[in-house]
Amino acid sequence: MRAAPSLWASAAWLTAIALACGLAPVLTSSSTIHPVGPPLLTPSEFPLMGTDHLGRDEWSRWLYGGRISLLASLSAAGLAVVMGTGAALLAQGIGGAADTTLVGGSSAAMAIPGLLLALLFVAIMGPGTDTLILAVGIGLAPGFARLARQALLQVRTEAYVGAAAALGAGGMEAAQRHLLPNALPRLLSLATTHYAWAFAAITTLTFLGLSGDISRPEWGSMLNAARPYLRIASWLAFFPGAAIAATILSVHTLGAWVARRRSGRWPVVSDQ
Amino acid sequence: MRRLGTGLLTLWAAVTFAFFALRLAAGDPISSLLSQGLASPEQADALRTSLGLDSPLPVQYLRFLGGLTRGELGRSLYTQRSVAATIAQQAGSTLRLAVAGLLVAAVVGLALGIAAGTFRTSLFGRTASSLAGFATAIPAALTCVLVLWAATSLAQSSPFLLPLTRSESLLLPALALGIASSGALARVIQSGLEDNFDAPYLLAARARGVQPGPRLIWHALRPVLPLAVSFLALEAALLLGGTVVTETVFARPGLGRLLVSSILIGDYPVVQGLVLLAAVVYTLTHVAADTLSAIIDPRLRPSA
Repeated sequence: MRAAPSLWASAAWLTAIALACGLAPVLTSSSTIHPVGPPLLTPSEFPLMGTDHLGRDEWSRWLYGGRISLLASLSAAGLAVVMGTGAALLAQGIGGAADTTLVGGSSAAMAIPGLLLALLFVAIMGPGTDTLILAVGIGLAPGFARLARQALLQVRTEAYVGAAAALGAGGMEAAQRHLLPNALPRLLSLATTHYAWAFAAITTLTFLGLSGDISRPEWGSMLNAARPYLRIASWLAFFPGAAIAATILSVHTLGAWVARRRSGRWPVVSDQ
Repeated sequence: MRRLGTGLLTLWAAVTFAFFALRLAAGDPISSLLSQGLASPEQADALRTSLGLDSPLPVQYLRFLGGLTRGELGRSLYTQRSVAATIAQQAGSTLRLAVAGLLVAAVVGLALGIAAGTFRTSLFGRTASSLAGFATAIPAALTCVLVLWAATSLAQSSPFLLPLTRSESLLLPALALGIASSGALARVIQSGLEDNFDAPYLLAARARGVQPGPRLIWHALRPVLPLAVSFLALEAALLLGGTVVTETVFARPGLGRLLVSSILIGDYPVVQGLVLLAAVVYTLTHVAADTLSAIIDPRLRPSA
């Protein structure tokens, strides 16, 4: 399959932003909390992205902010994927009441809107990046469990699973040995989408000022801080905003690509 | 009937979760009043007794459930006003925003979906399709900032538009909220149209002489509508989340901001009331979505 230009652009953006944020200490030497010049300086050679309303180096804040946004959403999505897959696997392996519990429990959990759940977590644990990771991860887990269950069920209808069951491989063994590996491509595509959702949720929560430590910049909180200066210093909103948009769209593009090419291309047949 | 039972069970689970999560993890809500210097120890004790917080947790829980069956949600720890009244006071503003946002979402979503589904190969259709994808993927906060930026730039060049950017105006918040939730609807309509344009019945319609145009689009659109309507109803349930962001960005009073502030100050009765409200809205919209689809599409009616 020939890859579309949008796929290349997405992969390029994600690689570039991950590298840039990872290499932040090399790419910038200015502090994220101390002013480097007058406030609201326009972008130029230095400071590359101008300065914010307190005269802080926007380029530096953007790089270090991206680290938090990207890593926090990675942790949150990872949490959702591990918890969701685990629950779905257990439900499918044990079957019966466990499966009913998963379906019922996840629909009850999904009746609480994600944002509300996250806010409850903040109420209980106090604002902070760890709280947000936990809140978003747990918030996405029931939905992921449902989708993972569907992916496993789809594999279950295959003839070889029935054959394996006839040979005595049922329950957890079948779930681990046959359902999970063969559902992996689908799960990977779901995980990609959930990363984009986690990223959107994390930036929304930090936008609302729930990241706790205000001395640590983050794309969502930078976007919120730029709001009063939209008219006179629109670049302050542009850089974090464009980074958020580009990252989410790129991840979705990659997710769609994974979903499209999942059929039959995966080395999933394990040696017996 | 079965639907109603599941709905009630869901409500009970959501409320119970909120009750115990808040009480167990955060402890006694009154001690947070004390630590913030908002009450003296004697006042705190009196408040504890009057709110029934001195009895054991299971007793409180049963009392809380009992209150719910009588329609009582308790009192705010801070203002002493009843939770129901506090919520009712803010509900109007949020309801106006949500209804206006839903209208915008319906119009924008329908337009984008029809454009993307009908003109599949042209630049116009592909632009509409990308816009819909963009609207779905982007967090509501970014949409709000984009709308705000567009409005301020417009108002700069044409000052007569300035009144629209004032905080009392419903236009911008509704636009931001509506655009943010239009993408999913557009996607549903687009994929439905794409399927139906390839369906044999549409070929038959064209063979009968229906020219490409509004009538043919209507032919293809009609079977998609039930799904679109239920999607829109489900979208309504998600709007509560969207209003939190929209109300913050546009500095509007409402339930979203009430929720954030109650959580940050630890006003648990109000939070519980809002959780219950959110779960009720969610359940009701699901029931409404099912009912609406059944009205539009007879095939979905439960067979007698």
